[in-house]
Amino acid sequence: MKKVISFLLALAMVLALVPAVMAEGAPEPITLTVFRGDPGDQPADDNKIYKLIEEEFGVKFEFEFLAGDLDETLGLKIANEDYPDLFDGGNSADLLISNGALINLLDYISPEKTPRLWAHIEPQKARLIEKDADGNDVLYIIPNYGLPDGPQIALTVGGPAFFIQKQVLEWAGYPTIKTIDEYFKVLEDFITANPTDENGTPYTGFAILCEDWRHFCLINPVQHLMGRPNDGEVLVDVSNTDFHTETFIDKPYAKPYYKKLNDLFHKGLINKDTFVMNYDQYIAALSSGTILGMFDQAWDFGNATSALNAAGMYKNTFVALGPVYDPADVDGKEIEEHYLNGSLPNVRRGFGISVNSPYAERIVNMWEEMLSDKWQLIFNWGIEGEDYYVENGRLLMTEEQYNNTQDNTWIMHNKARAFFESSPKKQGWIMDGEFKGNCWEPGNQDEIVFGLMNDYDKKFLEAYGFSKFADFVNPPIELAPYGEAWQIDYTPVEIEHQDFLNIQDKRLPEIIMCDPAEFDAKWDAFVEEITPSATAFGNYMQEAILKEAQKVLGNE
Amino acid sequence: MSTIGKRSTGGAVIPVRKRSFFRTLGSQWQLMLMSVPIFLYVLLFNYGPMWGWITAFQDYKPKLGLFNSPWVGWKNFEWLFGREDFLNSIRNTLAMSVINLVFGTVSSILLAILLNEVRVRAFKRTVQTVTYLPHFLSMVIVVGMAQNIFASNGAINQMILSLGMAKEPVFFLGEGKYFWWLVGVINVWKEVGWNTIIYISAMTSIDPSLYEAASIDGAGRFQRILHVTLPGIKSTFVILLIMNIGHLMEAGFEIQYLLGSSVVMDWSQTIDVFVLQYGISKQQYGVATAAGLFKSVVAIVLLVAANSIAKKLDEATLI
Amino acid sequence: MTAIPVKKRKTHRHDVVFPVVNTILLILLMFITLYPVLNTVAYSFNDGTDALRGGIGLTPRVFSTKSYAAILEDQAVYQAAWISASKTVLITLLNLFWTGMLAYTLSRREYVLRKLITTVLVLTMYINAGLIPNYLLITRTLGLGKSYWVYIIPTMFSCFNMIVIRTYIAGLPDALVESARIDGAGDIRVYWQIIFPLCMPVMATVALFVAVGSWNSWFDTYLYCGGQKQLHSLQYLLKMKLATTQASANAAKTSVDAIKSTTQTTPITIRCAITVVSTVPILVVYPFLQKYFVTGMALGAVKG
Repeated sequence: MKKVISFLLALAMVLALVPAVMAEGAPEPITLTVFRGDPGDQPADDNKIYKLIEEEFGVKFEFEFLAGDLDETLGLKIANEDYPDLFDGGNSADLLISNGALINLLDYISPEKTPRLWAHIEPQKARLIEKDADGNDVLYIIPNYGLPDGPQIALTVGGPAFFIQKQVLEWAGYPTIKTIDEYFKVLEDFITANPTDENGTPYTGFAILCEDWRHFCLINPVQHLMGRPNDGEVLVDVSNTDFHTETFIDKPYAKPYYKKLNDLFHKGLINKDTFVMNYDQYIAALSSGTILGMFDQAWDFGNATSALNAAGMYKNTFVALGPVYDPADVDGKEIEEHYLNGSLPNVRRGFGISVNSPYAERIVNMWEEMLSDKWQLIFNWGIEGEDYYVENGRLLMTEEQYNNTQDNTWIMHNKARAFFESSPKKQGWIMDGEFKGNCWEPGNQDEIVFGLMNDYDKKFLEAYGFSKFADFVNPPIELAPYGEAWQIDYTPVEIEHQDFLNIQDKRLPEIIMCDPAEFDAKWDAFVEEITPSATAFGNYMQEAILKEAQKVLGNE
Repeated sequence: MSTIGKRSTGGAVIPVRKRSFFRTLGSQWQLMLMSVPIFLYVLLFNYGPMWGWITAFQDYKPKLGLFNSPWVGWKNFEWLFGREDFLNSIRNTLAMSVINLVFGTVSSILLAILLNEVRVRAFKRTVQTVTYLPHFLSMVIVVGMAQNIFASNGAINQMILSLGMAKEPVFFLGEGKYFWWLVGVINVWKEVGWNTIIYISAMTSIDPSLYEAASIDGAGRFQRILHVTLPGIKSTFVILLIMNIGHLMEAGFEIQYLLGSSVVMDWSQTIDVFVLQYGISKQQYGVATAAGLFKSVVAIVLLVAANSIAKKLDEATLI
Repeated sequence: MTAIPVKKRKTHRHDVVFPVVNTILLILLMFITLYPVLNTVAYSFNDGTDALRGGIGLTPRVFSTKSYAAILEDQAVYQAAWISASKTVLITLLNLFWTGMLAYTLSRREYVLRKLITTVLVLTMYINAGLIPNYLLITRTLGLGKSYWVYIIPTMFSCFNMIVIRTYIAGLPDALVESARIDGAGDIRVYWQIIFPLCMPVMATVALFVAVGSWNSWFDTYLYCGGQKQLHSLQYLLKMKLATTQASANAAKTSVDAIKSTTQTTPITIRCAITVVSTVPILVVYPFLQKYFVTGMALGAVKG
């Protein structure tokens, strides 16, 4: 019996060696374990892109995606020191870094060894390369997004804005909306003239989604009314290098906005159900076209836009506006609108390599090779002839090919999404070679964007004399040296921050719904209640922002 | 072997039992064979990890592990009990647990009795199958439906308005005073059929001749329910009640998390939601463990109390 | 129940009114509990994008099987279903085996370890050391992580089910055990030959609890086998499908997506299709268990 077993073992070993011997010249095949801090689909076994990767690099992947709570998952992996080779910690990569789970990539990346990778991070290296406790230069994660080539592409407002149904503006004769008062006024006028839609369903003037982390719809607008792009929950003065930072919700300039909401509530433009609405109900309401306006981020309701378009309800889709306070609201100060920000590297988001991985050098070299035009085209556009076609030097997709890229099942077979999403990648414009002047991402390519645009939208843009929807707001301003404040890790003041958020979530709806006579008293009580946590959080952010800014300014 | 059986019914003389504990044990080797392996298994899997409780007295960091994390004494507990919202979450937890316990028990016993009275077997099985189905729907689906039904323009409010019971729609989802009761109602809706199974199966052990005898004695239907069916499930009821009293500190978090919103936070936040928000997702392992330890201690106190009350009343006991 | 001779009964007014009222009540209850189920089925067969608008009742508004296709076209689902089914069967059998025996021993008042074992077991329902110690025990101390056995070994026993069975056994006539003992039967034989066959209703109940729990669990896969796709359970895979759909619905949309509608699946319909896919197997098995606890046993015969 023993002999039989040992014979079988020997046979198995021989068989295992055969492919290695046969594939002479090709690198030794390895399997990399990968953790992604987001949910995702396992790629199909016959996935064509992973097949190419395996052929060229001898690398296979074993993916684990986030299934539960991110911090909990990372906590368990840290406690057990059970790390994959490629480790994407999602929003909480700070945990991995502070617990020493990731290697310093600078041991493998340099202008000489990896010219493409170096060129990729070089423009933002001040933001990306940090100092560790001993003062050494370290880079743990190469951002997965936000290092584009060429001038910034801003076709639409993809982030925060005050949205309004296109029919409202059409009805009002395509007015230009500059202030928040004008925005609310046009909503009010429209709803007075048209209380219900064609089916008799009453319109809701303004919706405020408050569910869980999506409460930014309730608590974030004031900074934009004050003329800043998205810094999360603080307002930063970028006019000088002091970068004075403060929480804005407890400041006098926040009050006028919530006072206006209180007015709207009593005029019936805000429905009290808005404060208990869950996300599905919100999307259902937007999709049925009865909500005329809201503050939100464009990606948060892309589904509703799809549903409206699918039903042919183009006039009920939304356009992003960038209103600011009227000078009367803020002691006569003129405010310049800035909803769009300069492009921002996704610092500490993407793959790092874990300290347990024996393949660091191989992985870095693979990334280096993958930043070539050949591989970037494969990842972004696919295989020529199957996934896209070329005409007169332009990269193009048929409608079917484009729709495929939105189909999760198709992607499992035909895209290396799970790997590519967290890997270093090229974005923006193709700067040289035969496809110079094309976009790396199909979704930014002119022919695709405008080829698929419906007639209502074309007419709508024409009425304003605009060429794209981003023209409704000012062009992006230059990114502040500290980046965007919401990216900053606030672990040390997490408890205070949670209190800070909870108080807003609880009190702001009360304030919006309260009797106007009680408004001032309620507001003062709110400010008093929130001041301790707001101060703790604000002070911490002030320091953190100066530190971030110092990284960039100090090196220049 | 038969002597053991006799002793059990006879109420053994204490000195005898003491003297022969190990001999008795030896003669019970078959019972031991059937129970000790699982006993050891439980010691390993359930008691083995209990060293984790000492993290309640630490500022635990996964990287440092149990032995190197700094000790903080009672600080985690002090922090918890110093927070008004934690105390509030204890109140909410207990309130919702009690409502769930009462609603859940009453409704499932009631349904079990009604089903037990059905003579047409196919109908009985159909009702039973249909009523337990919602158990398999995820809480997200059920709560989503409930939110639509209880919304200002939902079915319930339309009914209230059309019956003239109120002039304005009732803001069920936005006023704290309704929250606990909504949770109770939704839980019954989702779980009544499932919870009934245990009582139905207990009813199968009732001797049919008892019904027969009751009928012959001239007992009506209600008397038969009262004197045969209910006594037949009493021990199941008592045991489940004791177990559930021990679980009063667990009101869950999913339904509260889904149904709640910031405007009813003061009524919806349970201990588990609090721990999720401030403990687990903030890497405050010590705080999370401290809250868990507190819950366990209260649970055991409640359990022992309920058990000894049952014993005093000469009812079935858990331990 | 048919044994009750109708003629001998005195007719009460209740006996006429009650069945009618009872039937009406139960039918009403069926409607209330069936509605969410049918609504879920309707959503699962509805077009995803259309379903976003809500307001679907008992029938789909725009019929589509795309949500099912999105789930069932993934070959991994079948492997995962196999893992889930096999672990469910194994866990259920092991649970019945251990839990039933233990329940019997703890129902024997003469068993000298009864009190100790019962107390120790009951407390496990109320104490929980937290996630990390449990995780380290399973992965580090026992080395069960990333293997199929992590599904089986830590879940072989549940105290709650033991109590349920024990309560049932306690309700059986003591004389059954006594007379077997007089015949010289040991406890193992008494249990397997006399008690166990009488416990079918409660065993079926417990089997249902265990099987449903095991079939619906995803957390163990998440903790221990997330990176081993050949070990993924069905619920884990389905949960991941839903999460992925949600994530891609939320993901930063490029300019085109907002302009051109696509026929993608949406979380609402996927969630409902997942519910149906994972519940249907339970419904198929259910009648086989149900007959034991709904119909009951002819206990009187045994006793006589």
